[in-house]
Amino acid sequence: MTRGDAQTYKIALVGNPNSGKSTIFNQLTGLRQKTGNFPGVTVDIKSGKIRFAGGIEAILTDLPGTYSLYPTSSDEKIVAALLTHPAHANFPDGIVYIADTNHLEKHLLLLTQIMDLGIPILLALNMSDTAAELGIKVNIIRLSERLGVPVVFVSGRTGENIDRLQAELEKMMLGTQAIHKTAAFYTPTEAEKQLVEAVQLNLGTENPYRALLIAHHYQWLPFLQHSERETLAAIVETKHFQSLRAQVDETLDRFDRFTPFVQESVQEAPTFPNTTTDRLDALLTHRIGGPLIFFAVMLLMFQAIFDWSVYPMDWIETGFSWLNDGLKAALPAGWFSDLFTDGILAGLSGILIFIPQIAILFLLITILEEVGYMSRVVFMFDKTMRRAGMNGRSVISLIGGGACAVPAIMSSRTIGNWQERLITIMVTPFISCSARIPVYLVLIGLAVPAVKIGGLINAQTLVFASMYALGVIAAFASGWAMKKWLRTREPSFLAIELPEYRMPDWKNVALTVWEKVAAFVWGAGKIILFVSIALWGLSRFGPGNAVETAENTAREKAQTTQLSTSETEDLIAHHRLEASYAGQMGKFIEPAIRPLGYDWKIGIALLTSFAAREVFTGTLAVLYNMGSAEPDISSRTDNQAKVTMRAKMREETFSDNGKPVYTLATALSLLVFYALALQCMSTIAVVKRETGSWKWALFQFTFMSALAYVVAWLVYLLFS
Amino acid sequence: MLRRYKTVPDLKAHESAAAISFVDPALACKLTAMGVRPGAVIEMIRKAPFGKAYYIKVDGIRLALREEEAFSILLEI
Repeated sequence: MTRGDAQTYKIALVGNPNSGKSTIFNQLTGLRQKTGNFPGVTVDIKSGKIRFAGGIEAILTDLPGTYSLYPTSSDEKIVAALLTHPAHANFPDGIVYIADTNHLEKHLLLLTQIMDLGIPILLALNMSDTAAELGIKVNIIRLSERLGVPVVFVSGRTGENIDRLQAELEKMMLGTQAIHKTAAFYTPTEAEKQLVEAVQLNLGTENPYRALLIAHHYQWLPFLQHSERETLAAIVETKHFQSLRAQVDETLDRFDRFTPFVQESVQEAPTFPNTTTDRLDALLTHRIGGPLIFFAVMLLMFQAIFDWSVYPMDWIETGFSWLNDGLKAALPAGWFSDLFTDGILAGLSGILIFIPQIAILFLLITILEEVGYMSRVVFMFDKTMRRAGMNGRSVISLIGGGACAVPAIMSSRTIGNWQERLITIMVTPFISCSARIPVYLVLIGLAVPAVKIGGLINAQTLVFASMYALGVIAAFASGWAMKKWLRTREPSFLAIELPEYRMPDWKNVALTVWEKVAAFVWGAGKIILFVSIALWGLSRFGPGNAVETAENTAREKAQTTQLSTSETEDLIAHHRLEASYAGQMGKFIEPAIRPLGYDWKIGIALLTSFAAREVFTGTLAVLYNMGSAEPDISSRTDNQAKVTMRAKMREETFSDNGKPVYTLATALSLLVFYALALQCMSTIAVVKRETGSWKWALFQFTFMSALAYVVAWLVYLLFS
Repeated sequence: MLRRYKTVPDLKAHESAAAISFVDPALACKLTAMGVRPGAVIEMIRKAPFGKAYYIKVDGIRLALREEEAFSILLEI
């Protein structure tokens, strides 16, 4: 028990879902936490430092909630894979096990499994808000004696007894725990014993229960070598080991053993009267009322996103244009200043302008999850989602996709069935994310008249809502098609717990929103910044002295036609751009996009948008020589810059036939293209990470781009 | 032929019955880990709005099960 020095002591927080783990994690670590890389797993695992009185520090890791070491989803597999792999860099020296006092019996299964792995463990009984209401009383001394582990009461909500938990932790770290049971909790059957011995002999696994788990999970445990996997397969084969049956038998045996301990220790068993949760669920999961309330909640959510974000977005853009003007005036003219203002600053504002909407969307989604409403949505819409080849749990990903596909795709990890999870990952980017909003706004403002249809609905609002509807339809239709195409046979579960409704833990909400927004700013932000700088360079420079030649030609032309100064400037800018690298690229792809009604300038915007679609408006701003005007586009305040940009876009004509570029048909075709195409490097990267190969990421990219092209083409034909 | 058991979808709202066993081993593994064991009393709360899923209560724990999952739990009559 004297492993390592206290400086590097690693503690893992383990428990069932809904045990209140994350609140206790926050209580223990405060704000000293980060979401870090965990070698070998593709999951964001939070870790934080705990400081003890004597200046000793430990690293606490919050593992995903799981019911057992026999996992059914990839989230749960992480826990089993880590705890069966002592050589892992994050293998814990000790475990704090969190159990819900109200449902003690159910929460102890995993505890006894971990005890059998021989990892020092400490049981923390979390008192929920309703524990007192339910009238439960537990004799923790008795429970501790019977189970053979130290037990403490804590309250994640109020922080009560956190100091006592810390004191016990310190004892665990120093190896001075009063109680430490060494005998195994579960006695394997004769068949299991033989199996365990064979595994121990071949793999050198010391702990018998670890050997048993490896035999159960040899097909997917990531740390096993190919040869080890073959050996294990042979062992399982010759011993006629029936994994599933053995798992159930072991689980029931464990329950039979610890149930008496719980009964002895629980002095007053909880009664479960009709609580607030039951009354709320009678309404919220009602046959008719449930879905109606859900749609009302969604409507309010998107309403809030638009209404609340107007002001902070205005502040950000005002701040940036002020900064930009100031810098332009202060800095000496030259390419360096241009790079700083039109490249870097324009890029930065393109990132920051999204923060209000993303933060509000994440705030509302996190609150819905924290209060326990999301699992009700899963229950209500499981059937609907299954029609499209998904799982009820996919609802959470699809709703999250309205903010940003990257975290939404990561939240699909709770789906156990691979096919359902894969389809969820494939279709989530169809849901219109917050990055599409500015593109929609500028194009709709340009081409759709603000007239009331039938005196009721604004045509612009209607088109905007249609874009969201289009995304949802595309998601469900392609999910349905993929289901027909894949057809694998693998067990698929709903079986989900519907936790008690509770007030959100505001600290947790704030931390989650902060993390998600920070992840967006750093992840997508780097790309946007890089693209805007590259774009600035590509549109400013050209092969040889082509740009200079173009400028001279434009000057001569301006002189012969006697243009005004500002008209001359525009003509020069246009000619320079056409001669630049960006212009050449746009011209190169123009034949391919001409059927959709796009010219070479839109072509450049399309190309750059494949890095991140939020680059679109920024690109157009650069292309139409608007400099810092870009952030103004996404605003609703009709200021000068937006009007100028739209005016310039309206004047655009095709170079060969002189017809205007931005007709209704082109704008609608572009809208549809942006709604359906996968133009986001971050999404491609996260899909590769989550599916484990480039295959699905490339498939998704190709499929979505092809669909976007075809539908945009049809829309153009229909409206032109 | 007279059945000696019924399954969860047979329960009316707020009717309860004790579980005997599970038909599907994979699901049995999942449900036992979640605390639904043979002998546990299962109470039907309601059907999902669009059907095909059930809201049940087991020892104070609320669970949502799909129709197939609900059919695979055999209950005492």
